[in-house]
Amino acid sequence: MKKSAKALSVLLSFVLVAVLLAACSSNGGTATPTASPESSQATNEGSGTDGEGAKPGIDTSKAVELQFYMLGDAPKDLSSIQDAINKMAKEDLNATVKFNYTSWTDWDQKYKLLLGSGQQVDLIFTAEWTQYQSYAKRGAFLPLDELLPVAAPALYDFVPKDMWEAVKIDDKIYTVPATYKEYVTDGFVWREDLRKKYNLPKPVDIETFEQYLDGIKKNEPNVTPLSMNSDVKTNLMDRFRAISGTPIGALPYGLDVDYHSPSEMTAYWGTEEHKQDLVTMKRWQDNGYMVKNVLAVKDTMQDQITSGKAAAILGDNPTRFNDMVIKIQATHPDWELGYYPFPLTNGLATPVHPIHNGFAVPASSKNAERALAFYEKMVTDKRYNLLTQYGVEGTNYEIVDGYYSMIGDSNSNGFPREGMNGWAWRNPEYMLFDKNYDGVKAIFDELDKIQVPDKFTGFAEDYTTYQAERAALEQVEKQYLFPLNAGIVKDIDAGLKTFMEKANQAGLEKIQAEYKKQWLQYVQEQGIK
Amino acid sequence: MQRKSGLLKELVVNRLLFLMLLPTVLFFLINSYTPMVGIYYAFTRFDFNTSLFNSQFVGLQNFEFLWKSGVLARLTFNTIGYNLAFILLGNVLAIALAVLISELRLKWFKKLTQSIMFLPYFVSFVILSVIVYNMFNYESGFLNTFLAKLGAEPLDIYNMPWIWIFLIIIFYLWKNIGYSMVIYLASITGISEEYYEAAKIDGANIFQRIWYITIPMLKTTFVMLLLFALGSIMKGQFDLFYQLVGNNGMLYNTTDILDTYVYRSLKVTFDIGMSTAAGLYQSLFGFILIMTVNAIIKKINDEYALF
Repeated sequence: MKKSAKALSVLLSFVLVAVLLAACSSNGGTATPTASPESSQATNEGSGTDGEGAKPGIDTSKAVELQFYMLGDAPKDLSSIQDAINKMAKEDLNATVKFNYTSWTDWDQKYKLLLGSGQQVDLIFTAEWTQYQSYAKRGAFLPLDELLPVAAPALYDFVPKDMWEAVKIDDKIYTVPATYKEYVTDGFVWREDLRKKYNLPKPVDIETFEQYLDGIKKNEPNVTPLSMNSDVKTNLMDRFRAISGTPIGALPYGLDVDYHSPSEMTAYWGTEEHKQDLVTMKRWQDNGYMVKNVLAVKDTMQDQITSGKAAAILGDNPTRFNDMVIKIQATHPDWELGYYPFPLTNGLATPVHPIHNGFAVPASSKNAERALAFYEKMVTDKRYNLLTQYGVEGTNYEIVDGYYSMIGDSNSNGFPREGMNGWAWRNPEYMLFDKNYDGVKAIFDELDKIQVPDKFTGFAEDYTTYQAERAALEQVEKQYLFPLNAGIVKDIDAGLKTFMEKANQAGLEKIQAEYKKQWLQYVQEQGIK
Repeated sequence: MQRKSGLLKELVVNRLLFLMLLPTVLFFLINSYTPMVGIYYAFTRFDFNTSLFNSQFVGLQNFEFLWKSGVLARLTFNTIGYNLAFILLGNVLAIALAVLISELRLKWFKKLTQSIMFLPYFVSFVILSVIVYNMFNYESGFLNTFLAKLGAEPLDIYNMPWIWIFLIIIFYLWKNIGYSMVIYLASITGISEEYYEAAKIDGANIFQRIWYITIPMLKTTFVMLLLFALGSIMKGQFDLFYQLVGNNGMLYNTTDILDTYVYRSLKVTFDIGMSTAAGLYQSLFGFILIMTVNAIIKKINDEYALF
């Protein structure tokens, strides 16, 4: 409780400060109308002297400081980059920006507080994994439909129409999507050198993957065949389901929708199919493919591979696979990693949904126009974009044969590639790639040939009506389903029965019915087939 | 009229004392009383676009998730049970150790033991969880490697819920005992030597001196620490439980406390209303408890009561 109590007190102090700020700003607000004739004059003058720099649509007479929030950790050289950006932004937009980072520890709590406390935030990162859809639905962000053409016309044109359509929640745009096309679909990852050594089959589906695991178990007693940690829902079950069938996405609450028939939603938990999957998991556990105390393991799955503790990952995306390859090249040049994308087996090569990377303007922002104008610069102006993606040319990086090349190494360099986690403001026209990234591009090219659209990510769940049930169910899942997933429950029938009883007690049926209703409505409205 | 001027007079006469009290009063007013307004969040549906008092009033709806899965009783029982064990065992052991150490004559040895016992207090629970995992994991843990050497069957500790009751208490004591011992040691040092000398002359041996002088003199400290601890009896040691047990659902029946339960439920559905509701439940329960215990103590011996 300490944590949430602390969070609460932080929140309350924010609220107090916010009240104070609101009091101040309301004074500012009353002052604006009187100032507006002057300011429009100022913009007119501005456009007269240098036509390109000034924004015709918005009032830039008052200097503002924009609060920019990104997840993760800031690069070491951020302050000098920020100074350089501010010099340009001051001139172009009469604005300065402060780049803030949440760090990865408890980022989800911080993210919620940033949006919930009414604190001044002008631009914030959004993605489906930061619950963009639900936040947008609950009014945490400003609708941008009318602001965009005025404040950021170039950006508005730059992002394709269908992408704007795709990020709409309840018919309103709440985020500016990234336009770089990539795939974050999963694929098998395995130690190729060990596979060759023991002449094991190449994993392409669950059957061959299991044979590979078995071969490792028999031949390499000191290596755990499968890399796994305590999140046996996402890392084990969701991935297992993704490759053994053709699900439309990783649906919550034990629901199931096949990619090819979006309007048919069925319950998966408690079915014979569910039981068979759990039997497989138990077999993997009994045969020693996973460690017995997998629920107590906190290491990331990638670390277990790069350190040599484990031999295979059930599913990981091409970019992360490439990161592991680079890491291993440096530490164990004699090792090799293999990769096989799931889409080649199940046919679901869905390029990343526009929601996956974006920036939104929170409802609490007072400088929405300037924020968008600034974000437009970040994306479309090469000077801003290169600086915030790769740092200073000559100091942080250089371009060799058209490839990005880091100066020094990741320890000495204060701004590695995409050091600001600038996934959302990537501009395909200016992007620079590391030579190592060619591997990922090759996978992407392969997937491009069979790509199909993502039908699931655009759906925004509204759980206000079953919030209590949802929280209680989460609990039951952890306590009764996780051990089943990890294969450590001896009697699967009894275990599954207990889980279903507890889940129903927590209100599973109500949740499923409500979710299903919302989903079907979405499918119908969007005309998804 | 008469009284009012009395109060005013009091303020004027003792103005310096009141002025010295002011910072404390302000501190509590700002940090403890003003934020209490936020309790209202527990009864509203949180909305990004309006202020607290314009939000929709939903009554007890935010408390629902606590009893929805029917575990509230078990959670409350676990939380109180563990805390009672922590408080009682912790204090008794701390007193025993403090008495032992105070009787030590070798100065360097005394300092050394004290420091060694104090050290675990600085070990973070995150590190402790790694140590525990390396001790008890099934395949390569210290315990099972050791058992294998002896030719015994390996133990799957992470699958034995009952053993964690003891493990958690042991690790709590290991970490905190040095700290509370120092508090008792300090109050032992405060006991006047004259008592002991008088007792010696009367022929009391060392056990009698401890039993009849040291222990009774520690009673006030004990009662005070007890009362403080009881106030937070509904608040578990979140870090300890969260780090040691984490996602391991197999152990929840014996190791789940309110804090971990609430944390897990709200990690997915972060809702300010619901987290405030959980916090309010804990605080209210703690408040009732401390008032009751204080009243009982007051009845038995007025001097020991907190207020």
